[in-house]
Amino acid sequence: MPETHHGGLSEIAGESPSNGSGPGGSTGADEALAQYLSQLGRMGEQLRQTSKQIEDSVVGVCDSFQGIAARARATVARATGFLGNDGQSASDRQSFEGLIETCSGTLVKILNTTVEAGEISRRAIERMEEIDKASQQISDALGQLDQITNSNRMLAFNARIEAAHAGAAGTGFAVVAVELAAATVKSRSVTAHVGELALNLRSLALSTLQDLRNMNEKDSERVEQCRMEVDESLRDLQSAHSEMAAMLNGMTSEGALLATDIGSAVRGLQFQDRISQRIAHVVSDLDTICTRLKIHAGHVAPGPAAADEGFSAYTMQEEREVAGLGEDEASAGDVELF
Amino acid sequence: MKKVLIVDDSVSMRQMVGFTLREGGFEVIEAEHGQDALDKLQGAPVDLVITDLNMPVMDGITLIQNLRSQPAMKTKPILMLTTEGLVGKKELGKAAGATGWIVKPFDPEKLLQTVAKVLP
Repeated sequence: MPETHHGGLSEIAGESPSNGSGPGGSTGADEALAQYLSQLGRMGEQLRQTSKQIEDSVVGVCDSFQGIAARARATVARATGFLGNDGQSASDRQSFEGLIETCSGTLVKILNTTVEAGEISRRAIERMEEIDKASQQISDALGQLDQITNSNRMLAFNARIEAAHAGAAGTGFAVVAVELAAATVKSRSVTAHVGELALNLRSLALSTLQDLRNMNEKDSERVEQCRMEVDESLRDLQSAHSEMAAMLNGMTSEGALLATDIGSAVRGLQFQDRISQRIAHVVSDLDTICTRLKIHAGHVAPGPAAADEGFSAYTMQEEREVAGLGEDEASAGDVELF
Repeated sequence: MKKVLIVDDSVSMRQMVGFTLREGGFEVIEAEHGQDALDKLQGAPVDLVITDLNMPVMDGITLIQNLRSQPAMKTKPILMLTTEGLVGKKELGKAAGATGWIVKPFDPEKLLQTVAKVLP
């Protein structure tokens, strides 16, 4: 409280008509006393309002802290859930971790399918090579068949000559020789046809083989390209995940710092409670002074309550120090469990 | 979730203690003086009471004496959280049945540690 006010109160006490020692007349002293009492009342009201305003402000700040803390918690929870690090969302397809797993799985499936297609193509080439080989063997077999047919044709020709030499006895033999010659002609015709078919088959096999080889070559290139792209995509995804995980860790650390800062602020804001209590004690003492002055001036009859009314019982160390009432104190923030 | 009753005539103190405890995972109910606390405890048991000392209507010491006379609150922890630092006052609180004494301003982390210690 300002010094001038203390001086004013002392002056009032000196001018009180009830003690008869005032320099002025009782009317002047009464008026002065009334003014000072009124001023004391206003001062008390000012202090009460100030205390209330400080408390309202602190309550507002606390509300803000609660909002900040809640939002920080929600943000970290969302980020944790998105990255799938909360132990609950690992299988959640919405989480980033889940997305990476899904993408990785899909890419690996595509790669495997491509590799499988290449393998099928390779096996088809092998089979076509076997078909080509078989066609060649058919051609070789047909060549041998042609040689047999030639031998048969020569045999039939010689048989007819021998039948002619035998005359009437060889007539039956000549018929057989003619039939053998006719069968040989038919056999050559069939062999030639099969030979053409084998040739066509081989040509088709070689052409298909070439196509398959070309496709297989391109498939190998595609598989390699696909493998490289998949590797790159997975690296990018992992890198993005690592960056986001680092960001999350940063956010978590920031959240912890924020909690510490809010804790410090909460501790700091408790000054308001101490100030409010001290102001309340001062206001109470001002009221006591007013009452005593009124009694002293004879404006109020001293009742039993007023006579017993004392000054505030100070509850804080600082107050007691100002009042010169030093006693054993616990320090602020001390905790003692009994 | 453990339930804590905070008794303090200061709105801001109730809010700061409440904020700290809610952040620590506790459910909090508030009362502005001893009588209000007794009223709110009717049919609504709590696991812990944290009370101020100097309050209007009913002070903290009287509140503790009242609570200790109730079977449901006989063994429940009661912490005093006050600006009052006098050793004599602390002894009064202890005699009334308080479990512990914390001098304001409190450190939020320390308060949570203390609460964790006294809760079964």
